[in-house]
Amino acid sequence: MTRRVNVIGIGSTRFGPQPDKGIVQLAIEAAEAAIRESGIERERIGALYFGNFISGPLTGQEVLAGIVADNLGLPNIPCTKVEGACASGGIAFRHAKLAVESGQCDAALVVGAEKMTQAPSATITAALNCAMDNRSDGDSGLTFPGFFGMAWRLYEQRYTLTRAQVSSVVRKNKANGLLNPLAQMGRLLSDEEIEQSPFICDPMRLFDCCPTSDGAAALVLAADELVTTAGAVPVRILASAQTRGAARIAGHPDLCSFDATVSAANLAFKEARIDRSHIDIVELHDCFSIAEILDSEDLGLVPRGQGAHWAKEGRTAVGGDLPINPSGGLLAKGHPVGATGVGQIYETVLQLRGDHSNQVKDAAFGLTHNLGGTGVACTVNIFGRHDA
Amino acid sequence: MPKRETEDCQVKALRCEKCGTLDPGPRELCPKCHSPEMTDISVPGVGTLLSWTTIRRPPTAFREDGPYHIVVVDLDVKLRVTARLDAPSPGVSPGARVRCVGTKNNVPIFQETDA
Repeated sequence: MTRRVNVIGIGSTRFGPQPDKGIVQLAIEAAEAAIRESGIERERIGALYFGNFISGPLTGQEVLAGIVADNLGLPNIPCTKVEGACASGGIAFRHAKLAVESGQCDAALVVGAEKMTQAPSATITAALNCAMDNRSDGDSGLTFPGFFGMAWRLYEQRYTLTRAQVSSVVRKNKANGLLNPLAQMGRLLSDEEIEQSPFICDPMRLFDCCPTSDGAAALVLAADELVTTAGAVPVRILASAQTRGAARIAGHPDLCSFDATVSAANLAFKEARIDRSHIDIVELHDCFSIAEILDSEDLGLVPRGQGAHWAKEGRTAVGGDLPINPSGGLLAKGHPVGATGVGQIYETVLQLRGDHSNQVKDAAFGLTHNLGGTGVACTVNIFGRHDA
Repeated sequence: MPKRETEDCQVKALRCEKCGTLDPGPRELCPKCHSPEMTDISVPGVGTLLSWTTIRRPPTAFREDGPYHIVVVDLDVKLRVTARLDAPSPGVSPGARVRCVGTKNNVPIFQETDA
């Protein structure tokens, strides 16, 4: 019988350009907030898992896990950086959960961080391309936006997708961002503004793409025994699944679907023993507007071909039947790559405590979805309110 | 116009000597039977366009090329490849027939065709 694991403390910097702070500083700020909020002594923390993707190429700093633990004054514990491109944070979380669940330790710290905005955009695009299988796809000159641009064009033909439907995803997430104090670019956008923004990778335009960001988020996970009334209201971890998909673009059976998401969602719902209809709030990997549509369908939360319709009809807005990305998602909150998966959990914990600034009413069950590379790595996590 | 290194419409690929599986490569082991005996071959560069896009913000290594078109092609020999697309007509959509007209840095370049 494995132990139940809870999120007992959360912390986050705001996401967006932070020229005055380095990646270590950002990580410490988030981690210290999470530890303080948890109310536990730092001596009780038995492991640190750190999600980061490209600190080497972009900041020249590696071994972040050990450096951050040292600065936080953590005991002599295993400190591990994990990398899975944009899913790095979600993977770090899963390993921390496993460490507590298996009894390796009673509490673990998860930190995700990335520092990007100091680099020129072509350098960032090149660094992000480290997440491709470069032996097979890199030589062509394909980029990540390009990959999703191709998915969009195929989906458009298959399901008669309109520009206005996709724009409704952008408008929703940017508007949600206005209500999130941590978000990089909340904004009320018109369809015209979106449609007049420059093409990045046709048919994808500027407002269809998430911004690059600086930021960090952190979580303290603990077994039931360490949950005290002194700390923050705990949120239960009901499931954490991690899967692999094709490393090569040509290896995907369908460009409009990610096998890794489909299988991670199935595993997570099996572990959580709840039905998809119970999910009240979703934070998913909307690195591009089209990605939110594909993800919502891959997760099995929206029927195939309906993702864009649901957004247009307001069903995925706060107040709709399936609120998606009330935080603003990657599109508005920002995408400091290694921090993103941890930040999604931060947002979901706030929702399940009833403390979010863009609160989904009576949210009891939440889901986070973090996707890396061209769908090569995925985590899906399910959370439950403490009394649910 | 991209530089034409070949004009023979062939695309380089790998074939497993054990089970005959084709793969766009590079790969050390057959994806099906895990045999290390993968042989370089050329296959006819004719197929169907699965999807395409125009890269308007290229990464550093491809700055000189931009903007350029990327395509995923399902070759008739049942092989999926990521490649370049040369001078697409604006309305070209998934399902269009394409043929390889050359390579650039070992990446095949495709054009629309009636074939």
